Amino acid sequence: MGTLLQQIINGLSLGSVYALIAVGYSLVYSILLFSNFAHGGFLVIGGYICYGILKTFGTNIWLAGGLSLAGAGIAAVLTERLAYRPIRERTNVTLYLLIASMGMSIVIENIFVIVAGGRFRALPPVIPTAPINFFGFATTSAFDLLSLVSAVVFLGALQLFLLKTRWGLAIRAAAYDLRTAGLMGVNVNRLISIVFFVAGALAAVGGIFLSVRYTLYPQLGAITIKAFVAAVIGGLGSLPGAVVGSLILGLAEMLTAGFISSQMRDLVVFSMLVITLLVKPTGLFGKSVSEKV
Amino acid sequence: MTEVCGEKTVLLEVRDLHVSYGAIKALTGVSLKVCEGEIVCVIGSNGAGKSTLMNAIMAMVRREKGEVILSGKPLEAKSFRVVQQGVSLSPEGRKVFAPLSVLENLRMGAFSRGADKGVEEDLEWVFSLFPRLKERIDQYAGTLSGGEQQMLAIGRALMARPRVLLLDEPSLGLAPIIIKDIFRELRRINNEGVTILLVEQNARQALLLSHRGYVLQTGQIVQEGPSADLLANADIKAAYLGGGHGAGKTTKALS
Ligand SMILES: Nc1ncnc2c1ncn2[C@@H]1O[C@H](COP(=O)(O)OP(=O)(O)OP(=O)(O)O)[C@@H](O)[C@H]1O
Ligand SMILES: [Mg+2]
Repeated sequence: MGTLLQQIINGLSLGSVYALIAVGYSLVYSILLFSNFAHGGFLVIGGYICYGILKTFGTNIWLAGGLSLAGAGIAAVLTERLAYRPIRERTNVTLYLLIASMGMSIVIENIFVIVAGGRFRALPPVIPTAPINFFGFATTSAFDLLSLVSAVVFLGALQLFLLKTRWGLAIRAAAYDLRTAGLMGVNVNRLISIVFFVAGALAAVGGIFLSVRYTLYPQLGAITIKAFVAAVIGGLGSLPGAVVGSLILGLAEMLTAGFISSQMRDLVVFSMLVITLLVKPTGLFGKSVSEKV
Repeated sequence: MTEVCGEKTVLLEVRDLHVSYGAIKALTGVSLKVCEGEIVCVIGSNGAGKSTLMNAIMAMVRREKGEVILSGKPLEAKSFRVVQQGVSLSPEGRKVFAPLSVLENLRMGAFSRGADKGVEEDLEWVFSLFPRLKERIDQYAGTLSGGEQQMLAIGRALMARPRVLLLDEPSLGLAPIIIKDIFRELRRINNEGVTILLVEQNARQALLLSHRGYVLQTGQIVQEGPSADLLANADIKAAYLGGGHGAGKTTKALS
């Protein structure tokens, strides 16, 4: 019973980190309709900025975290401006964007291999990882709770932004029909920049927590594949879907690790992807709004 | 040619507009004028270039040659700037944001106005024009009937407080009785001071509503004149009015 509760908390914690990554990825997908494979790069950029600032300016996690979010957000905006916008302005074929994003993913990874080296780095111990006892029958770490709480805070803030602000409304409209959103007087390029900034910043939060969980290295972004899977299980382009898919995935991984074997984790993850694609290709929350013409 | 606007000022002018899609030339030198306070229609059959004209004014497609001028100032080449300059479009096929509520759709229409206080008043104005939208204020736009979606698309375009309202086939796919309703509201909108440029395949309704009309054929204006004259014109009757039944009693429309 204790182990079960413990694994559930760990699973939700891992899932919440996936959610931060999957939501940004899904947001970009909902607007531009392509899988941004450079998304993992944003997470790595966030991780390294946080690491660099902690190493050089001491251990203020708020400063390091804040700059990391801003830096990854800006990097995401620049990626879009430099690599995607020129393509968007010439063609509607999203396949080109997909290919460009694969290229950018490799570029970002290799920049860090060159600049920071391929070593695994541990973030200075700024995030508490002490064990916490739950009413005497389960133990989890402060880190797991913290990452869960942070994810809830950031995803809640995103939700408020989308539901309560003018640009949030424009993003929801653009997710349905970008072209018509442009007809409403929305500066579409600015909207896309905002979306990339948000996606990059959320990925950085995920990157920081993943760096603490697994250490930081240039290929850490590869873990984004799990967030892609989560987004597909939840329904591509749907933000609630991305969150629910991520939590399911985190739980499945941790329960497999806890009760079957740690080596089976990835097998379970990808089996879930295959089953989703076979049974309900649109995912749990896949877009099914019927449009009257 | 005599000055079409006479005493009135020219609000919107399209000058020698050319648009192509790759090798296909959709507009080859279209010129027209819309005077302050007028309703002007452009009629033409399938593929004549009506939607292209609307989209070129809105800068949704590239204007290859020629320009569009609003009160003496050229409209810019970016759509969001065109809206800010005072032109908005209710697009062909309505294009409402299906997963957003009626209210959210209308607020999207007012996007370019930011936190302008007048937005709340204009919401009431749109609801007074189309009371059915008010009854369905929280309903998803995708669940509205075709006619209601058209009202929403027009209301949404009005929320930008345009100096010129562009309408691309507001009658498309609607029952005659609904078309009557909508065109009656267009007249009312015009009476409240909004200048309207309308493109339609439904030539009879468009000519009955408008003050002046242009006939667009394969990317060129082939005829123009007061709508009453166009309605009475034998060639237009044959080509666009399906044999011309009832075309006689047109004067009533031209108040
Ligand atoms: N995106 C596009 N790519 C290529 N050709 C296009 C495109 N849009 C329109 N065309 C062509 O341009 C011409 C004018 O099209 P347009 O849509 O402006 O006509 P329309 O008068 O609005 O017709 P309808 O009454 O059917 O709406 C047509 O020959 C059409 O095939
Ligand atoms: Mg058309």
